[in-house]
Amino acid sequence: MKVTPRTLEETQEAEARELLERRAARLREQGESTVEEAVHWIAEFPLGEERYALSLESLRAALPLKMVSAVPLSAPHVVGVLRFQGHVLAALSLASLLGGHGWRQDPAVLLVVDRGDGELCALDCEAIPRPTTLPMSAVEAARARAEGAVMEVFTEDRQLIHLIDLKRLFSATRGTGARHAR
Amino acid sequence: MPVDPMLQGLVAGFAVEAQEVVQKVTMDLLELEREGLETDALTKLYVRLGRHLHTLKGSAASLGMQDLSDIAHKLEDALAPLKAHPQKMPRPVVDVLLHGLDLFLLRAQAHADGRGDALPDPAAALAQLVADAPPPEEAAAAGAVPVAPAEAAPAPGPGLAEPASLQDALPESADAGWRVSSWQVTALMREVERLREVRLRIEERGRELERVAQLLAKQGLLAETAEARTALSGTARSLRTDGEETSDIVDALEDGLKAITTRPVRTILDPLQRMVRDLSRQLGKEARLSVVGAEVSLDRRLLEKLQGALVHLLRNAVDHGLEMPADRERAGKHHEGALTLRVEQQGNLLYLEASDDGAGIDVESVRRMAEQRGVATSEETARLNDNQLRDLIFRPGFSTRSDVTDTSGRGVGLDAVRASVEALQGRIEVASTPGQGTRFMLTLPTDLGSSPVLVVRVLEQLVGLPMLAVEATQLARADALRLGKRRAHLEYQGQLVSVVDLGARLGLRALAPPAEGQPLLIVQSGGKRVALVVDAVVGDRDLVIRPLPSEVRDVPAWQGAATLSRGELLLICRPDWLVTETVQVQVTAQRRALVVDDSLTARALHRAMLEAGGFTVHLAASGARGLERLATDTYDVVICDLDMEEMDGIQLIARLRERPETASLPVILVSAHDSAVARERGLRAGADGYLSKRECAAGRLLAEVLDVMSRRGSRA
Repeated sequence: MKVTPRTLEETQEAEARELLERRAARLREQGESTVEEAVHWIAEFPLGEERYALSLESLRAALPLKMVSAVPLSAPHVVGVLRFQGHVLAALSLASLLGGHGWRQDPAVLLVVDRGDGELCALDCEAIPRPTTLPMSAVEAARARAEGAVMEVFTEDRQLIHLIDLKRLFSATRGTGARHAR
Repeated sequence: MPVDPMLQGLVAGFAVEAQEVVQKVTMDLLELEREGLETDALTKLYVRLGRHLHTLKGSAASLGMQDLSDIAHKLEDALAPLKAHPQKMPRPVVDVLLHGLDLFLLRAQAHADGRGDALPDPAAALAQLVADAPPPEEAAAAGAVPVAPAEAAPAPGPGLAEPASLQDALPESADAGWRVSSWQVTALMREVERLREVRLRIEERGRELERVAQLLAKQGLLAETAEARTALSGTARSLRTDGEETSDIVDALEDGLKAITTRPVRTILDPLQRMVRDLSRQLGKEARLSVVGAEVSLDRRLLEKLQGALVHLLRNAVDHGLEMPADRERAGKHHEGALTLRVEQQGNLLYLEASDDGAGIDVESVRRMAEQRGVATSEETARLNDNQLRDLIFRPGFSTRSDVTDTSGRGVGLDAVRASVEALQGRIEVASTPGQGTRFMLTLPTDLGSSPVLVVRVLEQLVGLPMLAVEATQLARADALRLGKRRAHLEYQGQLVSVVDLGARLGLRALAPPAEGQPLLIVQSGGKRVALVVDAVVGDRDLVIRPLPSEVRDVPAWQGAATLSRGELLLICRPDWLVTETVQVQVTAQRRALVVDDSLTARALHRAMLEAGGFTVHLAASGARGLERLATDTYDVVICDLDMEEMDGIQLIARLRERPETASLPVILVSAHDSAVARERGLRAGADGYLSKRECAAGRLLAEVLDVMSRRGSRA
């Protein structure tokens, strides 16, 4: 094979082209994998015998369940009121809102969440939720199927998670004081 | 007509000043239109009116706005014949002057915005103005006896340059002050609130120190503890002084912030006078708006947001509330309807009341229209009482007008008012008496100010009462109480006052007459009084009352919540709710359950389950509290947590089984332990049932309660 010596400029140009091609290939690869790995971040916790979750972006804080003042004559799902960053928030019983009957342990945590309308409220929870992910495609499919505020989504390892849509949950309970059924 | 560019900078200031002057002229015109003014008062009004118009004319001319100067001149012309012989101003003249003022303001604003070039020639508008004005002899010949010219100084002659206070209206030069954004001021307000809480904590620490000093004194070893007690008392005194200084700083900061952020309510209420006048004329009605509390100063942003709601309420009052003059006279009322706006600020709460003396709200008509318009179904309206029916007027789409007019009939109005009030975290209520009128009451939180609150305790619940509503406190004495079958009365200042047990009213316990020596508070609101039974008076505090979140804002018992020294919230009770007669609900047939659990959420959840099953539920946060409740109330079943501090469920059952009254009371233990051993231990201790939290979560609670009650019943 005859080797043709290259000039310095040609060598530099070829190296630059190779470098750019490698970068382009890497970017294309990233784009494809991003599509494949599109996920929805959730805060997952047990409720009764089942696993529930909230969208992580709606979660503002997790607080120890204390300094809550009971509100006599309020709706049954209202646990009380508490102070959070200068504002008065309602602490609500998530089990009651979802039509459940209780927890395995007494809730020790309050999750401060955005209700979906810009207002905050606190929901009781047995323990600090675990941040994890669900495949975005599964969430979208479940959202399309679900009529109520709770969507049934399967994880990659076929575990069922009840994903709560807070906006739907609170628009269903607004003004009625009634608990929400699935 | 273009303004000299050199003067353009001054025109914006002129527009602002002109708006204020026009507002004053409008108020004077509305006053002159009324009957019954003394001639002295009339003379003063005419002189003042002439001066204001002349100021407008002079200021406009000095800035080269000839069109405005001409309008003001024509208005002076219209006024001249009447000014010579002061008398009630005929309506057509008022109309012309008001129309001229509108024209003046529109053009002034256009000049200020730099749109003076695009303004049409004022000649046509001026000609119309002149054409509309009644001839001078007609305007003057209104039958009033001419009076001597006013004693007050005459207005300067025409053509003289008015020494207009333009300097005052000039925008401040850049280095005369600071430009501050609203969030910076809001942040300062939050810091003041924090400082107020620090002051509360300092006061609390002072009280704790005093308690420690008293405890030491009770030890008996006076000599040994003398030094420590002296040191403690000295520290408590210093702390008290520090607290007072903090209080002064908070007050000074609040005063400073108020001066920056507020303006008198008058600034939004005065323009409403004109609106009421124009609308009532348009509808062939007569109305007079009185304002009480116009001097109250409020946050500028709040005022801007409230203006729309007030306009709605007043338009509604004129259109729907007030009757036609002839109808009013036939009903024995004055032909002129009375509208009243009352503004009052108590601490950081603003009370705003808009009332009229019209026909009142016809509840039947509300029901009919709500059904016709699909706002509520007939099944729904059949279940509502009069107050609830009246509240339908706040629902979207409601209107009692069958036709659409310029003023109403589109079903848009009071729902928008309620939405804007709720957006401000406030609440709106309506009260009405047929034939006598309607009253809308708005309660809104404001950022600044604190309210004196009396803190009381009922069972384990602390409750705040606005101090202004508490007339007196006393201890219950049998000789002052009159006990009836259904309710008790207290003899107070020669009158019998209803006794209201706060605990029973809040659904925390069964109704019982006050015990000897129990604290009674005389609470008054809206002319009504009750003697409120509480378990203890904790003390008075100066607190910032915050609005409640939307989930509990509609609970009528509560006005708001305030932060106590340790950061916990105190619910503030509404005095008007306390003095309102309640419908006596027959609860004798309802089953009663007591939930004893040290977990707030478990109590709430059990309560929800049991209430859904038709139980009246009372709650206790510990075994000891549970025993207290069982000593005074009777229950059909007790649901008790097994694992509680101090006294657990097993110990509580043992105590219950010792007493003959509770020996056979059904008790269900609830526990996180799900083992057979734990279950066996609970049942052996005397529990009638045992549920794990897991079983509760699976929905077994109510079934177990009913099962246990049935078994106990059959055994009995």
